[in-house]
Amino acid sequence: MKIIGAPADEQVMEADKAVDVSRRRFFQLAGGIAGAGILLSACHRRTPATDISLGTGDIALLNYVYILQQLEADYYTQAVSTYYNTISSSELVLMTDLRDQEIAHKKFIQTILGSNAIPDILPNFAAATFADRASLLTFAFQLEDLVISGMNGVVQHFTNTDYVYALSKMVTAEARHSAYLRDILSSNTFGDASVIDTNGLDQTATPATVIAKAKLYTLSKIDSSTLPN
Amino acid sequence: MNFRSILSEIEKADNEVYEQRSDRRNVLKSFGAKVAVAALPVAVSSLFTKAYGKTTSEVVDALNYILRVKYLEYNYFHVGNNTGGLIPSADLPGFQAIEKQELEHIKYLNTTITSLGGSPYTPPNYNPSAVNPAYIPSGTYDFTGGNKYTVFNDYVSFLIIAQIFEDTSVHSIKGYIPAFYGNAGLLTQLMQLQCAEARHAGHVRLVRRFVSPAQPDNPAPWISNNIPPVTSLQPYYIGEDLASQLGIQISGLPGIGGNIPLLSATAAFDEPFSQATIQNLLAPFFV
Repeated sequence: MKIIGAPADEQVMEADKAVDVSRRRFFQLAGGIAGAGILLSACHRRTPATDISLGTGDIALLNYVYILQQLEADYYTQAVSTYYNTISSSELVLMTDLRDQEIAHKKFIQTILGSNAIPDILPNFAAATFADRASLLTFAFQLEDLVISGMNGVVQHFTNTDYVYALSKMVTAEARHSAYLRDILSSNTFGDASVIDTNGLDQTATPATVIAKAKLYTLSKIDSSTLPN
Repeated sequence: MNFRSILSEIEKADNEVYEQRSDRRNVLKSFGAKVAVAALPVAVSSLFTKAYGKTTSEVVDALNYILRVKYLEYNYFHVGNNTGGLIPSADLPGFQAIEKQELEHIKYLNTTITSLGGSPYTPPNYNPSAVNPAYIPSGTYDFTGGNKYTVFNDYVSFLIIAQIFEDTSVHSIKGYIPAFYGNAGLLTQLMQLQCAEARHAGHVRLVRRFVSPAQPDNPAPWISNNIPPVTSLQPYYIGEDLASQLGIQISGLPGIGGNIPLLSATAAFDEPFSQATIQNLLAPFFV
């Protein structure tokens, strides 16, 4: 079959992959100019992925926050579906609540971004053992702390202060999350010296610093060159 | 109303208007065409707030009001931590950490206000030559709220008012965030400050979740809907049930197995309270 608008090498690749009947059927149904974009994106799944571009200005900053919220939403979704055997009913209820709050954050930012939103990123939580309570909770609070520092560090860069205000409402929820996870793992560690400085202030970090750490938790390739240092 | 002439006047008065940010310049240029005349006053004021931020005296006022709440909190936890038999030994380190951080906040705010050329707030009966000046032993605070709460005799009461103070502090700082637009350093620090407060609030709520006897509201570390610890404290949570942010209905967004539950949709965002609201809410705790 001929794929409209696709580079020649992808035409060849598609021809070679005759095994995927459903894909071939889809292509046949979706022919024509209107389907060209969809076809191209489908074809790209078979080639080495190009880095995800975050855009520029406030769009880039929102996509950056979107990545952080995706990681959290994905993490708790995995945690709730494969939690440790010893989980108490209280912990399961609150873990589910955490999942739903982070999905709310993710979908909120995605809705603001609209067509400027980057695709879903592929999470990589190989560093966490979900069947182990200490491992699950430790990774969770470290992720929360990373997101807190990231959101605190990014607000100064926004042009539209509506986004600053929205982030200021979200970040204290994240701080409550971290305090909870730290406390149930080790009593009274909700805001210890690892996260609160000698002025009594929580953490802040630049987008460049935070995205470098966030990239460790995704298999997706992200071009973060448009984020402030 | 002639919008173009307003812009022209502003430009004459301050050429920097058009130079502050190129994005903003484009917004301004396209403004007349896109925005209905009726919406202009609000839209224009919003635009220039964003461009200019606040005056130094407004920033100092905001910091001083936060400082006023900080002194209240510090004194509450200082007295609680030094009241024998009130706080179980297993819980004491947590409240001592909160007390220590509240004192750090007082010092941070004092330093910041002074560096801006302002005069830091001091509570009534403040004695700078006292061994611990931040502690005001008498005449300023009434933590019983007018003989309503037995906070230093009963741990559950202590926890309830501790929760009220920490949640209200979060609401208070958040209400002042717009005062710091345009000042990257202070905006970031106030974000950091409210996160520290939110950790305190989360901790106190978690302790309440497991205290005996069981609490009727079974609190989560976050504010679910607008649920207060007891009905009489409902005013401290008015508006926390907001489920719409920037015009987006959070409880209408897709979750797992349906839309985001209302409890989570409201818990995911903490809300700002105005200075007048905070003043009313804390008035019962001042002599």
